[in-house]
Amino acid sequence: MAPTKGAAKPPSSTKGNSKNNKVLGSKVSKKNVKRPPPKEVKSKARTEKSQLKKSKKREYTDAELDLPKLNMITPVGVVNPKGKKKGKVFVDDPEAMMTIFAMVNAEKEGQIESKIMKARQLEEIREARRKEAEARQTERKSKLENVKDSIRQTKKGKNGAPQGKKSEPDSSKSKSSGKRKSVAFA
Amino acid sequence: MRPLTEEETQTLFRKLAEYVGSSLKLLLGDGADRYVFRLSHNRVYYVRLSLANFATSIPRDQLLSLGICMGKFTKTGKFRLHITALPILAEHARVKIWIRPNGVMPFLYGSNISNAHVARLPENVAEYQGVVVCTQDDVPLGFGITARSTAEARRLDPTGIVCFRQSDCGEYLRDEDTLFASG
Repeated sequence: MAPTKGAAKPPSSTKGNSKNNKVLGSKVSKKNVKRPPPKEVKSKARTEKSQLKKSKKREYTDAELDLPKLNMITPVGVVNPKGKKKGKVFVDDPEAMMTIFAMVNAEKEGQIESKIMKARQLEEIREARRKEAEARQTERKSKLENVKDSIRQTKKGKNGAPQGKKSEPDSSKSKSSGKRKSVAFA
Repeated sequence: MRPLTEEETQTLFRKLAEYVGSSLKLLLGDGADRYVFRLSHNRVYYVRLSLANFATSIPRDQLLSLGICMGKFTKTGKFRLHITALPILAEHARVKIWIRPNGVMPFLYGSNISNAHVARLPENVAEYQGVVVCTQDDVPLGFGITARSTAEARRLDPTGIVCFRQSDCGEYLRDEDTLFASG
């Protein structure tokens, strides 16, 4: 339905012929000008190489993305100072070596000294204990000896007492006669 | 090949200071042609500076060894002294112990030193102190760590261990394959 309507009403008829003759004239002159033949624009196939290439997407920098600070590889606190030497710092000059050596040596000497001191103290304590133990042992021995002696004496006493009892009268007799004693024990 | 960093130097000196006293200063020397420590393939070499400078012309992977190998850095960052460092240690040793002829072979085969094998033990030696082990003729055989202090060692029975072996000359044969292999 719509195309039939369009065909019945040409666009020029709506505006009227009397309105603009000049315009019509100009249209006529344009028709006379030679135009270059219209070029055919071929629509490119989707599979064509240029079409297949992805258009470069814009890359955003970190600042633009507004990422949270902790979401980065380097933590917030770690900032590499600029203008500083990268990599290892070597110690090659003799003075630096000497200072390191002096530090290490002092540390080592101190350690050894303290070890020796500690060993000496322990040794003294051990020695004192040993002496104490020895003294205790000699004391115990002497006590034992004393007890032994006392027992011996008592035994002698017991043995001697009956003899004594027996001898007492003898002795009393001997006392009376002094020569007899020497005779009896010889 | 490169010089040592500060941390590496400290680790090396700390280890050397166990065996060598303050005479380690003499080791470094002074003047134009002093001695330096250089690191190559985790091994530390004690080398004259002029020689180290010459060695820079040799590619790193082709440089097998130079100077005296002191030892190597382990992967955990500790330093392990090699038997090749013995001449230097023996020269500047802090403490030496002398062993009897009957103790030489057991030591060279890698065993610890028992009290029966000790000929002379100096006074005032602390426990776990680095010592250089020598024969009675003062020939250095290796180095170790004391297991007892002098006073305790005197009381020890003959089979008791006085010194733990760290390295001995027998390693030249036993560890021949790995001692000089770098990389």
